[in-house]
Amino acid sequence: MGGVLEIRDLHKSFDSHHVIQGFSMDVVEQTLSCLIGPNGAGKTTLMDLISGRLKPSSGSVRFRGDELSGLSESDIARRGVGRKFQVPAVFKELTVRENLEIAFSREVNPFRNMLKFRDKAMLAKLEEVSVLVNLENRLSIVAGLLSHGETQWLEIGMTLMQEPQLLLLDEPIAGMTEAEVDQTAKLLREVRQHSTLIVVEHDMGFVRRVADMVTVMHMGTHFAEGKIDEIEANQNVREIYLGTEEDAA
Amino acid sequence: MNGNIYHDKRAQWVVYIVFFVSLGLIPVMQADPFLLNQLAVFGIYGLLAMSISLCWGTGGILNLGQGIAFGMGAYGMAMTMQMQSQDPEFSPLPSFMSTNGLEQLPWFWEPFWSTGGGIFLALAVPTIFSLIFGALMFQARVSGPFFAIMSLAMLSAFYILVLDMQPYTNGANGISPRMPLEVAGYSLDPYSPAAYWLIFGLLFSLTVLAKLLNQSKFGQIVRALREDPERVRFLGYNVALYETLIYAISAFIAAVAGCCFTILIQYVSPDQFDVVFSITMVIWAAVGGRLSLIGAIIGAFLIQGSESYLGDQFLNSWHLILGFFFVIIVRFLPNGLAGLLEMLLAKRSRSSTEESPPHGRAKSPAAANAEKAGV
Amino acid sequence: MDYSWAPLMGSLVLGLSIASIWLVAALGLTIIYGTAGVINMAHGEFIMLGAYAAYCAQAYLGTPFLLCLPISFVVVALIGLFFERVLIRYLYHRPLDTLLATWGVSLMLTQGVRMIFGSSPKYVQVPEFLSGNVSLGIMNMSSLRILIVLMTVVLIVGIWYLFYRTYFGIKIRAVTQNREMAASFGVNSERIYMCTFALGAGLAGVAGCLFSALAIVLPTMGSNYVVESFLVVVTGGGPLVGSIAASAMMGEFKSFFSYFFNSTFAQFLLFVLIVIVLRFRPNGLFANTAVRR
Ligand SMILES: Nc1ncnc2c1ncn2[C@@H]1O[C@H](COP(=O)(O)OP(=O)(O)OP(=O)(O)O)[C@@H](O)[C@H]1O
Ligand SMILES: [Mg+2]
Repeated sequence: MGGVLEIRDLHKSFDSHHVIQGFSMDVVEQTLSCLIGPNGAGKTTLMDLISGRLKPSSGSVRFRGDELSGLSESDIARRGVGRKFQVPAVFKELTVRENLEIAFSREVNPFRNMLKFRDKAMLAKLEEVSVLVNLENRLSIVAGLLSHGETQWLEIGMTLMQEPQLLLLDEPIAGMTEAEVDQTAKLLREVRQHSTLIVVEHDMGFVRRVADMVTVMHMGTHFAEGKIDEIEANQNVREIYLGTEEDAA
Repeated sequence: MNGNIYHDKRAQWVVYIVFFVSLGLIPVMQADPFLLNQLAVFGIYGLLAMSISLCWGTGGILNLGQGIAFGMGAYGMAMTMQMQSQDPEFSPLPSFMSTNGLEQLPWFWEPFWSTGGGIFLALAVPTIFSLIFGALMFQARVSGPFFAIMSLAMLSAFYILVLDMQPYTNGANGISPRMPLEVAGYSLDPYSPAAYWLIFGLLFSLTVLAKLLNQSKFGQIVRALREDPERVRFLGYNVALYETLIYAISAFIAAVAGCCFTILIQYVSPDQFDVVFSITMVIWAAVGGRLSLIGAIIGAFLIQGSESYLGDQFLNSWHLILGFFFVIIVRFLPNGLAGLLEMLLAKRSRSSTEESPPHGRAKSPAAANAEKAGV
Repeated sequence: MDYSWAPLMGSLVLGLSIASIWLVAALGLTIIYGTAGVINMAHGEFIMLGAYAAYCAQAYLGTPFLLCLPISFVVVALIGLFFERVLIRYLYHRPLDTLLATWGVSLMLTQGVRMIFGSSPKYVQVPEFLSGNVSLGIMNMSSLRILIVLMTVVLIVGIWYLFYRTYFGIKIRAVTQNREMAASFGVNSERIYMCTFALGAGLAGVAGCLFSALAIVLPTMGSNYVVESFLVVVTGGGPLVGSIAASAMMGEFKSFFSYFFNSTFAQFLLFVLIVIVLRFRPNGLFANTAVRR
């Protein structure tokens, strides 16, 4: 079991604002790593850098040995990196079914897609995923009408339709009810059976339930890494969280 | 489970059949050649409105410069027809060129000696131009109002260029070929039912193809990028490529319309590149409903029909009425008359589902939660 | 100065004059787009209304030309205010629809003016000292064009002062940057948009008044300026400095190209150049950074 994703000495600055400062990280095949850190630590920015939304100022991101930085968003997605955004991004005017259908991107050639009307492989996948994310009864609803939790599920479902090898989930349980969080935890454990996940999450209870590995980010650096118990026992990690609480007060 | 018959694919195709069969029957019932010619011109407007609906409705790309493709197609056909009436040996030069001091046929007129080659160029040049312009703009992620303005600027650039190149285009006077288009020895009289059926056949087949395109996976992806191009990118699709293609397909349809226009009118002038005309195309689609191909076509029929029949009485105030009507549509009916129909049908289907147990669309959140808990 | 350089210098000065005309035409559009994100397609018609306001003031009240400037400003600002209240304010969150709706407005305005004043051209008289030429050493330039350059500078300084040195300006900039945040500090964004729109319309009126002396007054004269004004705003990206830089660049290139080709082909080249610039700066030269998600 080798490393799927290797991040080496990554830097990113906006004008003079140095947001990611020499971040390095290794992610092992078929694990679920949780990325935690106070607000503004740079977690979303890191996901942007991996998925190609932003270009790093320097450093490298390697996915299965291939350099990702420099590729376009769609190329990175084609290589098997799926992403769920912090602010849920689904197609609100389209139905849940259409959202999932579009996300099935095994064929991206526009000319072949012009001739594609009924896709058996897609339908099979759709059936599987819609059950997995619990939307099988909501398929003909316009996505804009879904509840907040359901929208999160739909977007997770969309990334699953992409059949990714690496999933980046930015705050997947924000706005969910207790019962929905339980379901999501179960879902993520199931997905982990055949793909690798990086999950950004603030809710430590949830992290405890799903994480194989926890990475702490602080001011754009790799601050600590380990099993959840080690992290919770780590005095320095406590300090950065308490520190930010003091700042907030 | 979706109750609204507006979204029912079978119902939509029934509407298509009824619509096109009734259009196709017109020459059987109506023999007045002038009226037939005018109705055929309406068919061209329908084509243009449909092309806008494809680009703007499906793809969300507001193109205020559709006149570029239309005008290029129209000029290409005019050049073809002009050369048909020239004699290679005795009078190889159209008379306006000699009046403007040219002694030789310009090189880019040469291919138009051949009818097939001329028509091919009339369609290919605008399509290739759109591929290039679209690729430039969409790769740079120029979008929304910016793209609209750029297409408008490009159009006005072409307008002044055509006006300016007097020796080659006859400037503001335009080109008026003496004879109707001749294909394979058959002369296509613009006032004949044959001309009407040509336009009708093109409108029918291109609209059906466009509808199929909309229903394909390609259409689905284009609809998605109308809402959120960035999200589509992260699903692995090359958004710029999709945008460029839908834009170029729409331009190709406009070029076809341009060719037909010259066949029917036997005249072309820089007016075909006029900004107001291009925006009028957008008005047709907006009024009829940009999301619906047939809606857009009907929008063109309605507006141009009322312009010709009310225009005589309200000649002076026609633009005032049109402007006012357009403002009202944009303000209150962003999806046009087709959107209005959709709303009415949705109301009907909702009131009929309320009697049956709660299913499908109108599900209360509580019911939905209960359902989830049960799973 | 070396003789062979004189024509080139002259073309530079001419470029400056072209730039000032485009900039003064685009000022109102810049403010409206920069603040509220509205592409006002009726802008050219606002310019036309400014010209007709000047014509009316002169023909019916005998107002001297320079006094027509404030009159045009007020008249067109009020007309702009009217359209903002009855139409635009419902469309702020739908940029493409504002573009279309304002185009409908422009159709109505052109036709309305044609019905009232007819299609024949109107003329506006300018005072003696503006109808001559001024010698600039290497070339002569009409004093009217010099007035336009001066007016452009005056208006820019005025706008700069309003935006960066007054309380109203702070509020405008707050709303531009973050509407919700500004609202939570008690800034009424609706009022700000309304005032900005009226101000932008008024500036178009001033431009119209200036142009009424430069050329004949016609119901369709707006379309002569509207594409260039849009290109100034689009190339500049929205902020005032953007429009200044863009109009300077465009004016100089236009004049430079005209030096080698005829003026229509120069215009064509200029448009192609802008397409290429946008290829590399798709949000304009001075655009704000992309939205977060
Ligand atoms: N486009 C940008 N321009 C300037 N600064 C930015 C930009 N994007 C992010 N930042 C800054 O980078 C820092 C990290 O932001 P980021 O969103 O990555 O944090 P985060 O860890 O995801 O926080 P949260 O937990 O609140 O989601 C913040 O200080 C933010 O203000
Ligand atoms: Mg974040």
